[in-house]
Amino acid sequence: MHFNSGACNGCDIEVVALLTPRYDVERFGIKLEPSPRHADVLLTTGAVTRQCTERLKRIYEQMPEPKFVVAIGACACSGGVFKGNYNVMDGVDKVIPVNAYIPGCPPKPEAIIDGVVKLLNSLKEAKTNGGK
Amino acid sequence: MGGSLQIQPAHLGKASIQVKAESNRDALKLLVEADKNAGIIALTGVDLGAQIGLLYHIRTNGAVITLKSEVPKESPRIPTITDIIPGALFHEREAADLFGVVFEGHPNPARIVLPEDWSENLYPLRKDAKIDNATVKCESSKSKPEPVPPQSDGSLVNIIIGPQHPALLEPEKFSVKVNGEIVKQVEPRIGYVHRGVEKAAEQRTYLQDVYLVERICGICNSCHATCFVEAVEKILGTQVPPRAKYIRTIILELNRLHSHLLLLGHAGLEIGYETLFQYMWRDREPIMDVTELLTGNRVISSAIAVGGVRRDIRESDVPKIKAVLADLKKKMALYRQLYTNERTLKMRTQNVGTLSKEDAVKLCVVGPVARGSGVNIDVRKEEPYEAYGEIPFKLITYNTGDSWARFMVRIDEIDESISIIDYALDHLPAGPFRVRAPRVVAAGEAVNRVEAPRGELFYYVKSNGTAYPERVKVRTPTYANLPAFLKTAEGGNIADVPANFVSLDPCFSCTDR
Repeated sequence: MHFNSGACNGCDIEVVALLTPRYDVERFGIKLEPSPRHADVLLTTGAVTRQCTERLKRIYEQMPEPKFVVAIGACACSGGVFKGNYNVMDGVDKVIPVNAYIPGCPPKPEAIIDGVVKLLNSLKEAKTNGGK
Repeated sequence: MGGSLQIQPAHLGKASIQVKAESNRDALKLLVEADKNAGIIALTGVDLGAQIGLLYHIRTNGAVITLKSEVPKESPRIPTITDIIPGALFHEREAADLFGVVFEGHPNPARIVLPEDWSENLYPLRKDAKIDNATVKCESSKSKPEPVPPQSDGSLVNIIIGPQHPALLEPEKFSVKVNGEIVKQVEPRIGYVHRGVEKAAEQRTYLQDVYLVERICGICNSCHATCFVEAVEKILGTQVPPRAKYIRTIILELNRLHSHLLLLGHAGLEIGYETLFQYMWRDREPIMDVTELLTGNRVISSAIAVGGVRRDIRESDVPKIKAVLADLKKKMALYRQLYTNERTLKMRTQNVGTLSKEDAVKLCVVGPVARGSGVNIDVRKEEPYEAYGEIPFKLITYNTGDSWARFMVRIDEIDESISIIDYALDHLPAGPFRVRAPRVVAAGEAVNRVEAPRGELFYYVKSNGTAYPERVKVRTPTYANLPAFLKTAEGGNIADVPANFVSLDPCFSCTDR
């Protein structure tokens, strides 16, 4: 599932573009879930505003285990251009644990696919090594 | 008004008028009486030291007139103008949030952009505001929850939509009071994406600000950059070369194309017509490719610079662009046919969220929302900027004022945009595409307007003779259009809320800044 915690929409429209015919991530078995309670992976965009902090935590807590977080875009990774502003927390990892970072402003859809597939592969590896 | 009114030379739009705080309302009444279509564009607060300046930017007869009042910083109080211009509702709430100005008689003086747990007497846009990042940020860990409205009061039931909701791409919250299926009242809570861009712009140089304001909105990014850059160029007196003007026009129209396609597709999603969404987004991709070809980036183009554009158009790219546009034009015929003939689409959008022309004027709405209600405003025609004065194009209006009309305006505008780009490519002047502009800007102020895909985008820039601006104010089109949604949703069916809402093309990263 996808949550915008203070993004400029740039990353968000690229995330939505992933679902459309040219990129079509359903072929990797990735599907957008509307509810956090049904989601395995949380894609977050944006530099986490103060008002979104509690909501982001709530959404993360509602997801069932095992769960993974992907920070998409420079803002979600570190605060980006908004770093140090009075109303932002400078990055998703200040609020919830992050499993994968995809930098870029915004990252191209190919880059997001690459990042998510890398995360999936790392999970496979962890599984063969006896992890979760 | 005896001495309380003083007209200054025109440097802020058409004219700027200094009025005393107590006669502010009288001056506004005069303006509204003189032009029935007059409306407020924005309300800018400026920290003047011991005073807080309040700049009421009024749109009248297609131009901007600025009324300036001052209130003491110790006790900043001024009577509300919401009874004269209902569209000022949100503008006053924002100035109260960010500057601490009390608007006497405001019907709902609640917070609008700042979080509920923000310190009582901390106004971030005042120059002397001591914002200690450490305290501000750790406070939020024990942040108090927002007040939850009761599930029902009397016969009305409260439905809360958001901040995270499948139908919303962005975080925002609406409490919808319903009686059965009928919506009685909608109360929005925005500010979830408030990043403090206006304050950040004061702390960065003009050069950095171009990149900052672009990131207010990823969808209409070039419009933000152009609007800011033009305001700075007005203060500097920079003459932009004609080739740069044409290239900017092309980039702005590409922005409009991809934004309108995005919205029309998204509308399909909201009314349960997912095939339309997939088709339109498929046809939007070539436009993204063209943007990438021209600027090097798909979404945030970073193509606009003070004094011109960052990159020239290669001659060899022109046929490629024209081919993509010709292809889109062909495909638009199908979508026009769908929107005009398809029964499901018409049933979900016609007579839904109807906004009368009178209400559109009263609520000061802009862009396709206003044009869908028969109000013919378009900054490209009123105050032609860049190359719009030289390029022929039609101003599209529809008179029915419903969601369908707002979608049709955009379908027609896509065709207009295609022909504007075609014309600009054919008539591209030779010469340089950029002039060098100084990095330090002399003291001055300017207002500027640009027609973004969602409507009129407004910037106010005040410089102080350094490389950093004194104040940057941004009024985005969705901010002006939101009151229209609250108005049109009332009395409608709850199931029509998504279709009505999406027909405004809401963008909350713009609205919250």
